[in-house]
Amino acid sequence: MILVIDALNKHKFPEIMREMFELRARVFGDRMGWDVTIKDGMERDKFDDMDPSYAVGLNDEGQVVSCVRALQTTGPHMLADVFSAILNGEPPLRSATLWESTRFCVDTKRLARGKGRSSVSYATCELMIASLEAAKEAGVTDIVTVIDPLMDRILKRSGNTPYGYVGKQADMGKVPALAALLDCTEERIARIRAFADIHHDVFIAEDEIVAAENYQPAAQPVDASERVIDLKGYCAEQIDAATTDHERGAALALQQVLFDKFHSTRACNA
Amino acid sequence: MANTDLMDHFDLSFVPEREDPFKDLLLKMREKFGLDHVAYAGFNPISGTTHGHVTYDDEWTRHYAKKGFFKVDPTLNEARRSVAPVDWSRLEHNKNFTAVFRDAHDFGITDTGMTIPIRGPFGDMGGLSVNSRLSQPEWRKLKQHIITDLQQVAANVHDLVMQSNPLMRALSAPHLSTREVEILQWTAAGKSQQDIGDILSISHRTVEVHLRSSRKKLQALTTVQAVGRAIALGLVYPG
Repeated sequence: MILVIDALNKHKFPEIMREMFELRARVFGDRMGWDVTIKDGMERDKFDDMDPSYAVGLNDEGQVVSCVRALQTTGPHMLADVFSAILNGEPPLRSATLWESTRFCVDTKRLARGKGRSSVSYATCELMIASLEAAKEAGVTDIVTVIDPLMDRILKRSGNTPYGYVGKQADMGKVPALAALLDCTEERIARIRAFADIHHDVFIAEDEIVAAENYQPAAQPVDASERVIDLKGYCAEQIDAATTDHERGAALALQQVLFDKFHSTRACNA
Repeated sequence: MANTDLMDHFDLSFVPEREDPFKDLLLKMREKFGLDHVAYAGFNPISGTTHGHVTYDDEWTRHYAKKGFFKVDPTLNEARRSVAPVDWSRLEHNKNFTAVFRDAHDFGITDTGMTIPIRGPFGDMGGLSVNSRLSQPEWRKLKQHIITDLQQVAANVHDLVMQSNPLMRALSAPHLSTREVEILQWTAAGKSQQDIGDILSISHRTVEVHLRSSRKKLQALTTVQAVGRAIALGLVYPG
């Protein structure tokens, strides 16, 4: 399930944010060897201070298993700045209906192989579907995404083949990076959904996550003696309410049965 | 991004302006998209000025300024920090939202609407707020129908307002990439998007996304207009 976090609700999810930056440190710092800044085990850059929008994948236990970041191309974004090598120093595309997607990653350690619900493939597709649907909902028609060649291959075999590229492949660390174009159309979303066999709503409402984060096991079941007191009251009511000798006899018999059952004078000491 | 310091400028700009050229633009948008009201607010970090233009009548604008709503109104202050447009249903639990729109109601202004945040390359930012008196299901339908166009128009209005400042105008000289110029040049020569895609061995949608970016940079609503402006600027030779 995917949670969308932005400037308006990020204060509600400090733990999820921390886990997300830790995942990025493991993927972009350790695994891909990109030139990123890691502090306290978290990878963050200046664009994280510019109120981006994140789509964060959570597993059934509520742990972060994937994430991606979106910024408007009309404002400051990575291709306009730190990824300018990809564009050969050329100015970036600018459009109100084109978002830039960066830092797409999944937790390959926490996830399994194969295609099941807890697989890398499933988490990847779920996040791709969420990115495209969130953009489409916002009236955004295209995404330019900065990825590595491995991710490019993953896109191609998940029904999410880029319709084009901008600039050229440029070295970013152990692996090169490139900028691919994706249309946020029903057709593309349907192809990924069919490939991954995902047909449900991939988003989870923030209220549900907040509720789950604040979840505390219900108080211990009421003390047995309190239940007995309830029964005592019930017995008394039944006896009082009896309008015939037969009813009164039945109520008294019930009281006796309960008294015997609990072996306690507190039960129904009428 | 720091917001509070920016918003302190609002009290001046929300004094109703005489002969507001932008108001005409907003009135046209209101009609075109079938909306109740359209309001734009933006901040220019270079001149340090805040700009506001609204289709609301003066009575509400004055009340809004007098109550200092510009300091707390979440459709301005919070929504602008979003990346995606913010439907106001997302703000309904915000006490400031309730305070502003309780008063707005008395002026016949509804709390059904959304704010489209706009970010520019120089740290300039703005928000275009629109509202409607449709029922929620009808509003959602209308929103889905107009949101892509509104995104583009919102960015256009923002650029126009920002460039009323001479320094901002000078900084905003369009920076087109080689690819964008190349595609505009073929367009000036009368080639279709499909033709250009074939010539450059790229998909027609890649051509389209470059044209859209060129239109944005040249502040043109149509490709024909963009080509005209590119020719005027000497970026492209007349076909």
